[in-house]
Amino acid sequence: MKSRKSILPRRWPRRWKNAASYIIVGGWSGFSLFFVLWVVFASLKSTRKLFSKPWSIPYDPAFGNYVKTWVSSRFGDYFLNSLLVVSLSVLVLLIVSTPAAYVLSRGKFRSRQVISSFLVFGMGVPIPLLFVPLAVIMAKLGLADTLIGLGLVYVAVSIPFTVFVLQGFFSSLPSELESAARIDGCKDWQIFWHVMLPLAKPGILTVAILNFVGLWNEFQLALVLIDSPENRTLSLGMYSLITSMKYSGGDWAGLFAGVTIVMIPTIALFLFLSDRMISGITMGGVK
Amino acid sequence: MMRRRMILVFLMPALTLYLCFLVFPAIQAFYLSLFETSGFGDNVKWVGLRNYSRLLTDHIFWLSVGNMLVILLAGGAAVFGFAFLFTVLLNSGIWGKKLFRAMIFMPNVIAAIAITTFWSFVFMPRYGLLTNILKFVGLEDLAKMAWTAPENIIWAMLVGLVWISTGFFTILILSGADKIPIDMVEAARLEGANNRQIFRLITLPMMWDVLLITLVLWVVQAITVFEFPYAFGGPEINQNLYTPSIYLYIMGFGQRDPIYQLGYATAIGVTMFLMMVISVTVLRLLLRRDQVEY
Repeated sequence: MKSRKSILPRRWPRRWKNAASYIIVGGWSGFSLFFVLWVVFASLKSTRKLFSKPWSIPYDPAFGNYVKTWVSSRFGDYFLNSLLVVSLSVLVLLIVSTPAAYVLSRGKFRSRQVISSFLVFGMGVPIPLLFVPLAVIMAKLGLADTLIGLGLVYVAVSIPFTVFVLQGFFSSLPSELESAARIDGCKDWQIFWHVMLPLAKPGILTVAILNFVGLWNEFQLALVLIDSPENRTLSLGMYSLITSMKYSGGDWAGLFAGVTIVMIPTIALFLFLSDRMISGITMGGVK
Repeated sequence: MMRRRMILVFLMPALTLYLCFLVFPAIQAFYLSLFETSGFGDNVKWVGLRNYSRLLTDHIFWLSVGNMLVILLAGGAAVFGFAFLFTVLLNSGIWGKKLFRAMIFMPNVIAAIAITTFWSFVFMPRYGLLTNILKFVGLEDLAKMAWTAPENIIWAMLVGLVWISTGFFTILILSGADKIPIDMVEAARLEGANNRQIFRLITLPMMWDVLLITLVLWVVQAITVFEFPYAFGGPEINQNLYTPSIYLYIMGFGQRDPIYQLGYATAIGVTMFLMMVISVTVLRLLLRRDQVEY
């Protein structure tokens, strides 16, 4: 990155440069806002109106689109499936990853570095490489086409990133507290449970949100591992809605109602926790 | 001192899940790619490396590699161009840096499958938003352009993909830039260094690690990209949108008419993995040499 001024012509007065920055950055940012508003507006129009007046504001909102998508297209069921599989996966993920990250950052044993790198390696494994083997394994375990199977895979593929970020978080905590607790006679698991875990809460919350959003939006593994309509997650339901449009004619308004249903939970989380999410991602670097 | 038993108990659950559902399938992929099989267990035939030699002459596979390169190179140039531009502008002392950063990043929290629906509407022939705008400003010829025709569709897809990825890489590069201590720049300026010298001697070296990490990340993402182009293609996806991952999925699980060439599909996955490892290694070597030269 060039230092301050170099990207714009040097002779421009500072005010102009500032104005140019605001226009470029503001324009790009404004497009994000436009995207959300346009989709929500589109979901509240009739499809005919969406095509004849794509820019209008729906003053007489057609909430029927939502009823149709939620009930007839079964987005209600898919929403519950997603909520269930994603929440439980994140919960299990935290239960297994937090202790592992703690031991890997604070324990003193010979294979510590090896195990750490071994876990980081998992971030480099491309998910599509696992499509066929996972389908085979799930069939053997009798977990093919189940949300339990999908959840187990969700936990496994999220472990490397989660442990990596939490490890960094534990390492940043002061070690004096540990020694103090030890002197006071705490056992090692008591130190973890009563001293380190409460201190690590912000870090745990960060990875919880990031994984929730990531898994909520996850599509490719669900596509490979889930077959039956009743087990679909929300993103799969969205895809099947797009696919079915080809035969049922273009119910674009219903489609955008689906898009709104898919994106509302994650956007709501982002509205309140954007700082935390962004700092978590820059800390982990990878997802 | 932590007891051995506690270390074991704390590590085991995570390691077990990780081994069973990530490491083991990744290793198994290499093994499966040596067979010809259409199902699970029966009719498994050992073919050695023949799946790989078949890949060499499979023009659809090479088409998917070509598409991947378009995403990797053209998409990468756009993503990094924008990300650096926004980093500079956001750090030029303007108001609302955090707000703009969050807005630029926002598409990344929305499901790719939801975003593609919007972009499909933008590029839709005749009624799409883009056609609409072009008509409005009087560019009738451009408005008639078929953005989703086979020869254009990958570029239409790339617009949406770049939009999302720019947000992701902006926050990474921005965080790298923010780590540069401001007093170092000020000290250099006091010593009489000009902007170019500050860029060459302070900013660039301090940004080097971030640049390397983000480039590696982009290469990995671009080589393995699946969700966005697949969803953008909709039902019966056009071959001009195939990436190696999509071709892998189609060969393994098909679309409406399953093909079930599991061995062949896995060979595509392994090839993709090797392409990834090689590119990342080359990238690291190239950038390391540059760093020594500096």
